Amino acid sequence: MSAMIELRHVSKSFESKSGEIVKAVGDVSLTVEKGEFVCIVGPSGCGKSTILNMIAGFMPPTSGEVYVDGARVDRDVPASLGYIFQKDTVLPWYTVRQNVGLGLKFVGAARQDTDKKIDRLLRLAHLSNFAEAYPHQLSGGMRRRVALCMSLAVDPKILLLDEPFGALDTHTKTHLHSELLEIWRELGQTVVMITHDLDEAVTLASRVIVLSTPPSHTLLEEMIDIPYPRDVFELRQSSQFTAHIQRVWKVLGNQFRAAA
Amino acid sequence: MSSDQVQIAGPEVSAGRTSRTQPRRRLAGGLRITLTQVLILAVVLGVWEALTRMTWFEQNTIFDPFFISRPSLIGARIWQWMQPGKNAIWPHLASTLYATGLGLFVGTLSGFTVGVLLAQSRFWAKVLNPFIVSLNSMPRIAFVPLITMLFGLGLASKVVTAWFMVFFLVFFNTYKGANSVEQELVNFCRTLGGRPSQILWRVRIPTAAAWTFASLPNAISFALIGVVLAEFVGSTTGVGYLMTTSLATLNATDMFASIVILSLVGVSLVYLISAIERRLLHWSSEFRND
Repeated sequence: MSAMIELRHVSKSFESKSGEIVKAVGDVSLTVEKGEFVCIVGPSGCGKSTILNMIAGFMPPTSGEVYVDGARVDRDVPASLGYIFQKDTVLPWYTVRQNVGLGLKFVGAARQDTDKKIDRLLRLAHLSNFAEAYPHQLSGGMRRRVALCMSLAVDPKILLLDEPFGALDTHTKTHLHSELLEIWRELGQTVVMITHDLDEAVTLASRVIVLSTPPSHTLLEEMIDIPYPRDVFELRQSSQFTAHIQRVWKVLGNQFRAAA
Repeated sequence: MSSDQVQIAGPEVSAGRTSRTQPRRRLAGGLRITLTQVLILAVVLGVWEALTRMTWFEQNTIFDPFFISRPSLIGARIWQWMQPGKNAIWPHLASTLYATGLGLFVGTLSGFTVGVLLAQSRFWAKVLNPFIVSLNSMPRIAFVPLITMLFGLGLASKVVTAWFMVFFLVFFNTYKGANSVEQELVNFCRTLGGRPSQILWRVRIPTAAAWTFASLPNAISFALIGVVLAEFVGSTTGVGYLMTTSLATLNATDMFASIVILSLVGVSLVYLISAIERRLLHWSSEFRND
């Protein structure tokens, strides 16, 4: 096992519109091993997304260091990193196939490899029948899967997910959980996912990290010892699942109360 | 999409809004709307025609065909103009259309280019901002005599005037569109390996182009206004020139006939652009009510 992502005493402050300095991330240290699925939960405003943005090189930390695959991250996006946003990031003027192939176009991949790869990804995400459809013809859940395929097309070793299923209904969400786990088990990326949904975190992750109210630090690291492959539909009824939820909620609930 | 554009529902919009589950009623509804529209038009034209034929109205009110002509005369004049010969409208119409098209093309292209370029540089956007704002707020009509003085009585001053009218409109819309690209989308493309130039071509420019298109119906009207203005001020051809001649000879029928022709030109151009837009921007949510 080797560390794919490492945060060493990272903090991040922002200047608010009225000019005062607000410390969102206080002092967070975190190591994510290769192939892990880590979920970060915490009250809103605790800098969960900020942490992802620093890992992706979108913004530098105020203090501390971020390493991805052994290299220090500052302002450049590390190679082989995928990022799924909460917002819709598919391009409406491209078909599903063109969208998924966008990253391969960017890096100038050969046409033949591109087609094969897109076909495989679309099969994996159950989108084969919609290859020639435009995004406005798809449901919200399908557009999420397209965004995921767009990321996966450039073979990321790391996937950062920022509340990717936040806007979806429970039914769609659960299906996507199942698919995400399937894809993760097949392709074996290191995943860090932000969520405010504790059930979602315990369903998916091998480890759940709870952050405090800002300035945030790590409050709890809960190893989820439910073996993969997990049946996301059965899982919620197991006593193991409930026990994890209860343990995490004991800490997280206090934070929510403090943040309110 | 454009902030300064008031959407007045054309027939295609109202058809889209009616429930899809009742096609028969929708058709009947659409037909009823069209019939009512035709009826209103017929009543206005009929009253106009009738009043200008009544002696009392002719003598005591504005309804004197010398001043306001009458629909039948106007129709006859347009028909006469359409016949080939010395009095044909075609050379004038061609001259106006050509200048409008050229001005629209040059204005859109330059407005689009400058809009995209300025959106790339916060520094230059800030530097040029006061100049652009003040140029835009100047009454553009005031420049037309100057433009005519500089560019002469021919095609050039018409095109320059149309360009001047169109440029700012297209520029502002494109600039706004290019800036409307969300940072998340740009960051997402960066994680896919996109370089800034690639993101410009594949993300920023298509987004900006959609906004540019939204400004085109207005841009057409502006271009046409510009050309006709230039023709008023000084030219030897064009529908605007015909109108100044009608003023000189106090010919109301010629005047109204010219107005009708200009309106038809404007409406056809807007419909043409809408059709192109619909085809090119079929992916946009605006046109989803198929």
